[in-house]
Amino acid sequence: MEYIVVSVLNGVVHGLLLFMVSAGLTLIFGMMGVLNFAHAWFYMLGAYVGFTLTRHGGFWLGLVMAPFVAGILGVLVERYMLRRVHKYGHAHELLLTFGLAFIIEEVIKLFYGDALVSYQMPNYMRFAAFTIFETNYPFYRLFMGAVALAMFAALYLLLTRTRVGIVVRAATYRPTTVEALGHNLPLVYMGVFAGGSALAGLAGAVAGAFYPTGPSMAVDFGTLVFVVVVIGGLGSVVGALIASLMIGLFISFSVGLNVSIADLLGLVGLGPWAHELGGLFTLQLSTVANSMPFMLMLLVLLIRPAGLMGDRQ
Amino acid sequence: MIKTRTIVLLLAALGLLVLLPLFLSPNLLNAAIKMMIAALFALAFTLAMGQAGMLSFGHAAYYGLGAFAALHLMRAVEQKLFGFPTPLIPLAGALVGFVFGLAFGWFATQRTGVYFSMVTLALAELLLTLAPTWNALFGGESGISTMRGASWGVSFGDDAHVYYLTLGWFVVSAWCMWAFTKTPVGRLALALRDNEQRVRFLGFNAHVARTLIFAISCLFAGVAGALLAIANEATNYTIFSAQASANVVLQTFIGGAGTFFGPALGAIIMTFFARVTSDLTRSWLLYQGLIFVLVMLFAPQGLGGLVALHARKVKAGGWKHLVAPYLLCLAVGLLLIAGLVFAVESIHVVMTDAYLAQRTAAQGEWVPYELFGRSFEPASPATWAIPIMLLAVGGWLLPPTRRITQRAWLAATRDLPGEPAAPSPAVTAGQGAPP
Repeated sequence: MEYIVVSVLNGVVHGLLLFMVSAGLTLIFGMMGVLNFAHAWFYMLGAYVGFTLTRHGGFWLGLVMAPFVAGILGVLVERYMLRRVHKYGHAHELLLTFGLAFIIEEVIKLFYGDALVSYQMPNYMRFAAFTIFETNYPFYRLFMGAVALAMFAALYLLLTRTRVGIVVRAATYRPTTVEALGHNLPLVYMGVFAGGSALAGLAGAVAGAFYPTGPSMAVDFGTLVFVVVVIGGLGSVVGALIASLMIGLFISFSVGLNVSIADLLGLVGLGPWAHELGGLFTLQLSTVANSMPFMLMLLVLLIRPAGLMGDRQ
Repeated sequence: MIKTRTIVLLLAALGLLVLLPLFLSPNLLNAAIKMMIAALFALAFTLAMGQAGMLSFGHAAYYGLGAFAALHLMRAVEQKLFGFPTPLIPLAGALVGFVFGLAFGWFATQRTGVYFSMVTLALAELLLTLAPTWNALFGGESGISTMRGASWGVSFGDDAHVYYLTLGWFVVSAWCMWAFTKTPVGRLALALRDNEQRVRFLGFNAHVARTLIFAISCLFAGVAGALLAIANEATNYTIFSAQASANVVLQTFIGGAGTFFGPALGAIIMTFFARVTSDLTRSWLLYQGLIFVLVMLFAPQGLGGLVALHARKVKAGGWKHLVAPYLLCLAVGLLLIAGLVFAVESIHVVMTDAYLAQRTAAQGEWVPYELFGRSFEPASPATWAIPIMLLAVGGWLLPPTRRITQRAWLAATRDLPGEPAAPSPAVTAGQGAPP
């Protein structure tokens, strides 16, 4: 019981964090058709901005500035790079952001080195929020979840309740009509790209203080984010939310379970045979926890190739 | 039909490659082997990308599986389980690459476009996360190693033997891939890239065709991986890393995915670049990334595309217009590169732990640092004036250079019949001067 409750909590928080990053990615994709490969690298940038400003001004300053820096970079990338290559097609845009990811990572390595940096939350946030079944649950995890939820609420209200949101949503479906009605479409694109990047930057600043902050955080997190958008269906924010939570729960449950295929086969009497075969059959679920999202993705591709909420092939 | 000139050129290149080991030092010979393997891998990647428009971000999976398959076969031979001639070991890589290409490709080709790219990336990550925990197959963290056995009267102890083996497989595989593009299935790949819906209306099963083409691309990636295994006699799970998949993408697009030999050219140049610069600087990945982004922005067809453009458009007497502007481009480009390299390397030195330790020893003073065999003061404006001046002068000369080059390009191509008005200015400016 304790295991289930703690796993659910951890999984939901991790899922919300994933959602914070994948929401921006899927929004940008749904609107501009650009898959920003460098998106997770904006997340990493956010973490490093947070780290730097925590040393030179405080944690909260980092939290405010990280989305700002990521957003500015997003504007520059959209205005001076993506717009230039738009005429060569979406694959070309993807490749460009792919190269950009390289550059961001290497520039960060240039300044901060190859090792992990010690980005820590402030001490007054380091306490247990509550105790369940004698487990102290860290407050910071709840804080991360709360930031993600607040962001989701703000995004939802912005998209459904404001004029800006109407223009953005309309531009997703009928860009030429929106332009004909006198709205500045390139500005809308730039805004959405900057907004998505800023969200990733914020997520990085929040999560970097809890999870390890290092040069490999982007590529590890990035592939997970891609899995989320493939499972959720590209362009669907709701799909991204569901897929993020699913993956968060999947990982947090499989980390703590020491069962293997052989154990499962043992239930039907095939245990000794499977143990003899070894290899894949005796791998503990906990050691392959990192592979679980990819397995889940293959499963979803088998059942629903367009993703859970996707309608476009 | 192949033109006689092309055949003569190819034969000359082949002759050169055959004679090359006579002149190369062991270190360079090893580099040549790696370059050929990278070129083969890039060609395999392009079979899926250039032909069928399937941009795979996880091709290292099949490359790595090919390498592991070859190593297991070599181990079996070494332990005298059965005999197998060393020169044919890449066949194991081909088989494994093809089988996994079919299986994984079946999933990946459910989706097209950017979805496909992400699924291939995730599949490679799946292998990367599984491999270190699966000791029997991938040898855990340390990987597996073995020795090349002698066969067919050749010891394969010498790098030159490996060179000829790699060359042989490279030539055969490259010819096979080129021939494949001429077969009906190869033409179907082009049709799939251009208009999949029409292919379906013509009664073809697009999914099956895609899977097949992807698997054939994986087959040759497996051959390249197996050749790498033979050359290195060892490998570990890092061969599946995103970095490995990324490299082939970078190399292919720097070379130009639109031409058949462009990717091989890109792979050869970039492998050589990596080998030279990785000894000199730890920031070489940054330079590689910058080159890639600049090529993407200003020469979208890649280096191969530029070469093809010149071969097609510049008339016999046209080169006399182009030589001077290109030299100017080169000079401006060198200015900019020098400024950038100076800035990056200075930052790099000042940011290292070793330098920080020196500063702590000197009570936080900005002690001078060594770069290019000279000593610089990090706190003095004179030091930073060097890159700023270089970049400013280069940046100031850039627009006139682009104008001059553009005019020269027009002059060089003017008299050709059926000539479109002007190439994109970016294409010519991208030649030597990254803005």
